Amino acid sequence: MKTLIFALKKISGAIVTIFAIVIANFVIFRVSPGDPIRMMFRDPRVSAEALQRMRVKFGLDKSMWGQFVDYFKQLMHGNLGFSFWQKRPVLDVIGDRIVQTLILVVTALVIATILGIILGAISGWKSGSKTDRTILSVSLVLYSVPTFAMGILLLLVFGYVLLIFPLGGISSPASGFTGFLYAKDVLWHMVLPAFSIVLWYVGEYILLTRSSMVEVMDQDYIVTARAKGLRESVIMRKHALRNALLPVVTLSGVNFAFAIAGVIEAETVFSWPGIGRLTYDAVMKRDYPLLQGIFLIFAVSVVLANLLVDLIYSRIDPRIKTGAAHD
Amino acid sequence: MTNAEKTAEIVNRKKKREIRKQKTRDFLYLLMNHRMGKVGVVIIVLFLFIAFAAPLLRTVNPHQTGKVAHILIPPNGRFWFGTDDLGRDVWSQVIFGSRVSLLIGFISAFATVFTGALIGIFAGFYGGYIEELLMRIVDFFMMLPALPLMIVLAAVLGPSIWNIIFVVSLISWPTTARVVRSQVLSLKERPFVEASRCIGATNSFLMFREILPNVIPILFAEAVIMITEAIYAEAVLSFLGLGDPIRISWGSMLHFAFASGTMARAPWWVLPPILSIVILIIGFSFLGTAVSDILKPGYKETKGL
Amino acid sequence: MKNEKKLFFRVLILMVILLFSTSALFAGGKKEGAAAPVQAKKAVSNARFNVGFTSEEAISTLIPDESWQYVEMGCIFWPLVYDQLWIMGPAPDYKPIPMLASSWETKDHQTWIFHLRKNAVFHDGVPVTAEDVAFTLKYLPKSDPAWEFPDTDCKSIKVIDKYTIQFTLADKHGGDYPPVYWTPILPKHVWEPYKDDMHSFDNSQAIGSGPFKLKEFKSGQYIWLERNDSYWGNKPNVGTVVLKTYGNSEAEYMALKKGEIDMIGYNSIDPLALKEFKGVKGVDVRIDPGITIDWLSFNLHKKNAITDVNVRKAIMYGIDTKRLISVAFLGYADPADSFMYKELPDHDPNLPQYTYNVDKAKSILAASGYKDTDGDGIVNDPKTGKDVVFELLGPSDWSIEVKMITLIKEQMKDIGIGIKPKIVDLDTFYDFWYAPDKDEFDIAIGNEEPGPHADWIWEFARSWNNGGEGWNCAYYNNATFDNYLDDMTVQSDMQKRKADLFKMQEILSKDLPYGFLVRYKSINPIRVDQFTGYTSTMGGVSTWINPWSYFNVKPVQ
Repeated sequence: MKTLIFALKKISGAIVTIFAIVIANFVIFRVSPGDPIRMMFRDPRVSAEALQRMRVKFGLDKSMWGQFVDYFKQLMHGNLGFSFWQKRPVLDVIGDRIVQTLILVVTALVIATILGIILGAISGWKSGSKTDRTILSVSLVLYSVPTFAMGILLLLVFGYVLLIFPLGGISSPASGFTGFLYAKDVLWHMVLPAFSIVLWYVGEYILLTRSSMVEVMDQDYIVTARAKGLRESVIMRKHALRNALLPVVTLSGVNFAFAIAGVIEAETVFSWPGIGRLTYDAVMKRDYPLLQGIFLIFAVSVVLANLLVDLIYSRIDPRIKTGAAHD
Repeated sequence: MTNAEKTAEIVNRKKKREIRKQKTRDFLYLLMNHRMGKVGVVIIVLFLFIAFAAPLLRTVNPHQTGKVAHILIPPNGRFWFGTDDLGRDVWSQVIFGSRVSLLIGFISAFATVFTGALIGIFAGFYGGYIEELLMRIVDFFMMLPALPLMIVLAAVLGPSIWNIIFVVSLISWPTTARVVRSQVLSLKERPFVEASRCIGATNSFLMFREILPNVIPILFAEAVIMITEAIYAEAVLSFLGLGDPIRISWGSMLHFAFASGTMARAPWWVLPPILSIVILIIGFSFLGTAVSDILKPGYKETKGL
Repeated sequence: MKNEKKLFFRVLILMVILLFSTSALFAGGKKEGAAAPVQAKKAVSNARFNVGFTSEEAISTLIPDESWQYVEMGCIFWPLVYDQLWIMGPAPDYKPIPMLASSWETKDHQTWIFHLRKNAVFHDGVPVTAEDVAFTLKYLPKSDPAWEFPDTDCKSIKVIDKYTIQFTLADKHGGDYPPVYWTPILPKHVWEPYKDDMHSFDNSQAIGSGPFKLKEFKSGQYIWLERNDSYWGNKPNVGTVVLKTYGNSEAEYMALKKGEIDMIGYNSIDPLALKEFKGVKGVDVRIDPGITIDWLSFNLHKKNAITDVNVRKAIMYGIDTKRLISVAFLGYADPADSFMYKELPDHDPNLPQYTYNVDKAKSILAASGYKDTDGDGIVNDPKTGKDVVFELLGPSDWSIEVKMITLIKEQMKDIGIGIKPKIVDLDTFYDFWYAPDKDEFDIAIGNEEPGPHADWIWEFARSWNNGGEGWNCAYYNNATFDNYLDDMTVQSDMQKRKADLFKMQEILSKDLPYGFLVRYKSINPIRVDQFTGYTSTMGGVSTWINPWSYFNVKPVQ
């Protein structure tokens, strides 16, 4: 029963948050400078009548409240607006890009999680040792390098100087590849952008796994296991790591949503045709409806990911239900 | 108030000040004996020096365009870091760029911590509906994906460093507010607050004279993190072309280098700003790690204080 | 300790193996990928001609809106896939050449009859008829103002027979060229259902009747075209054209050096990049006269010193065009003094020249009362006593113009005029630039590509209050100018037309609503180890007036 109430509370909280995001999203883009309809036309000769026609078509002739009601109604129907730049529904524009971003983010996060857990576990297992200090400071350094800066460095070294990897894009243009060849082509293009994301997140995962590991090391069952004379590697794998992994795995859940948002930098540097690069292009073209749509999707996915994590956590760790572990 | 009471009050204050001074000294001692803290402090001091002494360290006016023969030339005796596509000196630009990064870092950290602390204290101290409402707002802001929101706001508000400061502060204050609130929740139950309340101290006295001094260490730790984030944010936004195109910053240097299509031929134009950003962020995150280590209960004792 | 090391090494080895095995896999894939186009090039008729664009220049949909006119890839894409009634020929004489229309006739320059070819078919096999032309003329200009020109503005359209069309323009159309310039002919049978809102059709098949047809379009990545073997005219010498998108110009340049592309699709390369192409094996660099003209728009709507023609003259004398050219363009530009290119016969050779002269600029200012009364190095307006400081507007996307703004700011300081650069994004720039009455700038740096057939460019100077609102970005008003302009557009006597144009140029130089600065030279690296037959016009080997390279290139034997 308690679980149900907790879940309902969380879900209603998420709904309120999403509603607030929708309002904020609407307001932010009404204060933007420039006339959105004028921005649709670069051609200066558009007649006043044509502009008025477009205004009516997009409902911009209505009052602020009328526009908000329209916007909300459209959202309920899954309509995110109409892109100025591409002259088609925002949802179609985003839909074209979402798969590419998912491929990149999932690959990068899986690699980062695995690497981070391995290195973090080693580091935490022998906390205070030289290896630990090295891993720790390397991960702090990696965590300090902005993804776009790492991207530029990787691009300079492996793209321009060593000529190993392609300079951008998701596949060789108009190659006609299908199936396995195409997959290989895509993977080949993905190496640099994925690694510029991996190198950032791996720092975070190392730090987290390490601290979690250090905590676990003091627990009674490890001491007991040691006292039993089990091999160190067995204790590490079977006892310590397994328990230390819990917070890390949950983090990947939240991170996944945040990483989609953070992928903007890597996609921009490597012209990866995903949502991140789309955001950059939308900024460059000042395509406000598109930006608005992208932002809504980012924000809602973060809220939902958080909700999911809250719900999962509450099953794992009963203290959360009472709010004791909230802060 | 009798004279004796007054004297006691003054002595009491002096004592408090002494204790605070001693605490600060201890803190600095611990910091300088912390491996990462030391490195962080050295880096930050170095960059602060560069920023303040920029007019002395620069070799030429960073805005001054050069002769045709000086366009995009590699580092040499005259242009230590080479020149950019208008023949401007990269060294002098990097030197002056430190000012923008540090300025944005410090001002946004101050704004963030100030707002966060205020709201955190109010929420924690008053509790009830005020707390509920403020914490809902905090939760809302924490839910928003930071970078996309910053990009959207910077695009809508237009390019200027004040907008960047505003955007960064707007997005970062909730973290501080949350941390401060949870501190205040435990502080307000402490005996010294209770004692003050009993002798009739006003709410504002309790909040700002009794509780605030005790959250300052936490605020300091928060401020260090916020500076890191603000520097990062400025770099990213400027790199994406949302910074002030007239003002020289590391991010905008990278933006122009990236947009000019000369990155591979002129690495001297790209590497100095990148390394500066990275080193400065490393400095602050080392300092941040050190500070949070030091603030951990029990750390002091391990160092024999 | 031992265990820890072991684990560490195990992980390390695992990582290395993973990395290498995957790299080997990828490397294999890459070789095959690179081999494919080379093999294709061996078979002459199926050669693949690759052309690069940056992502800012790429179109994101195939909808025939203004992006076909204002976005670089759009300007190249549609003339390859769609036919036009006639086309402007290549350099040096730029004569009109029959395309879909084999001939045309007019008596009064208002009613025109075009005779179409009988063997033209759309890519889906349906013949092209007068109905399609009528349909296009009727609905395309309505769907998007970008296609609404005086020479497509018809009072009435009449289909005489299947291959003959007659239309009456709203106004006479003078000059050497027939009307309906640079307009794609769309298939009626495809577009009929969408005629009232052409933007509602995604045009994903892009059925046209041009020399190339669409094979695949990937938004933000590439357009893949194939030769149309049932084209009525000369068929292209290459089997495939791929218009590829690169994230930035640097990646694009690298692709050309590596041989991934054979030509840059639009816009000259940055002069700074020229050095890196010199001596690259298989690459030749062509330098052609430019098509782009840069000028300053002075906002005469403002209530400040910029409305004083003497201040504008001083500014023009104070700008060191030679330095602009040598620093911003590394020498690859020419000074400009009109919308008209100097080599064309309609260019007035006797225009007043504002040759760089700081003393003259200063004395003009002083004679008009602008003196530095407060000793801060900036002259003061005699009327208000305030410092003369102007906002100079430019778009952040145009790196060379941003450079020029930086340089002009330095130079204006020398004559005592303050400049505040105002750099905004491109859309905001156009929004401000075309609306001087919003008072968002004092001076703006802008450019256009008039081309040799450019009656439209003079609309930039048509009086604001006399229908000029829209293109007039100086809030300029001059009834005399309008008279010459009106006469010029309908004039079919070429001598009188020329006289009109001379007068118009003279008026603009004296009134200075616009201060002409420079004309870009076009620098184009091309791969000559794979292809020959690149065709140059003004603006280079590939522009909106030059699809010829795509028609003419052929593989090297």
